[in-house]
Amino acid sequence: MGETTYSVEIVVPEDADSERAGEVVEIEVGEEEYVLAAARNEGLWLPADCQQGWCTTCAAELLEGEVDQSDAKRYYEVDDDEDMTLICTAKPRSDLRIRSHQHREMLEHRAEYDKPPGKSKLG
Amino acid sequence: MASEEKQHGSGSVEPGDTSQRVGMEVIRERGGDPEEIREKLIDAIGAEFTTYYYYTNLRTHLAGNEDYKEITEDARLEDRAHFELVMPRVYELDGMIPNDIRDFADRASCPDANLPEDPTPENILEVLLEAERCAIRTWSEVCDMTRECDPRTYDMAQRILQEEMDHEAWFIELLSMERDGEVNPAGHFVRGEPGDAPYSKNNPFNESA
Repeated sequence: MGETTYSVEIVVPEDADSERAGEVVEIEVGEEEYVLAAARNEGLWLPADCQQGWCTTCAAELLEGEVDQSDAKRYYEVDDDEDMTLICTAKPRSDLRIRSHQHREMLEHRAEYDKPPGKSKLG
Repeated sequence: MASEEKQHGSGSVEPGDTSQRVGMEVIRERGGDPEEIREKLIDAIGAEFTTYYYYTNLRTHLAGNEDYKEITEDARLEDRAHFELVMPRVYELDGMIPNDIRDFADRASCPDANLPEDPTPENILEVLLEAERCAIRTWSEVCDMTRECDPRTYDMAQRILQEEMDHEAWFIELLSMERDGEVNPAGHFVRGEPGDAPYSKNNPFNESA
């Protein structure tokens, strides 16, 4: 029996710094795979840096579905409450729909809740 | 025929204008974003600085494993050298490192390399390995941002990347043997003295920074 896979729709915003801006890209992601790695393997280059769930460069908005974010080094309850996800360390637990390229939004969200690296980055 | 009046200026920066930097405008003219690069550099050297700090603690807990301590010392000092190499570039790009060291640590682009709860050599080597992998990703990102528009930053980033890749190979070799009893060679342990940093210290940009 093979690994369970989920369908993940990635909405790339119109104003994203990406050749795929404005597209909705659908990929299959295994339950033990991270969304970012799966997207890059499918040819969709999404932003990321540390890939350890720390720096927030890969932030995305979770529009539908559930992820396991337990591998992230720095992920807060308020992130979950506000449907923000770090896709470098997010494993799908259902079919997903996410909006990519949300780094700035994540920094503003973290700053609002006084969580790093929000204020230290935004001043 | 050249003008009688000597022209020092070029581009959009007025001669004698110290409020702008041609060194930044040339990046912009080539499609780069000097402010974005600068902020990325602050995050990246924040990680080098915190890694230097955390490696100090990790290294002390490798007592009795003198080979691991020696290699960790190389990586520790070279990470500090990376901070020193790039720090002046932040100021050249009209920025500064954070006044509060807590802000510097908070915005570091890599996780804190904390001592593991169970500080066995195996667990410490895994922390070291993952810290190096993060650094490889960060400096690769900086290379991507600067390759076509900012040769000075690119040169620094690619030199650092060379050493981070050395470090990853070292810790793969050590962890493979420590944890799995497997030979997984780095192929090199090339340092002359601790923290030799053959790429990032061979031609320093600024001895006095």
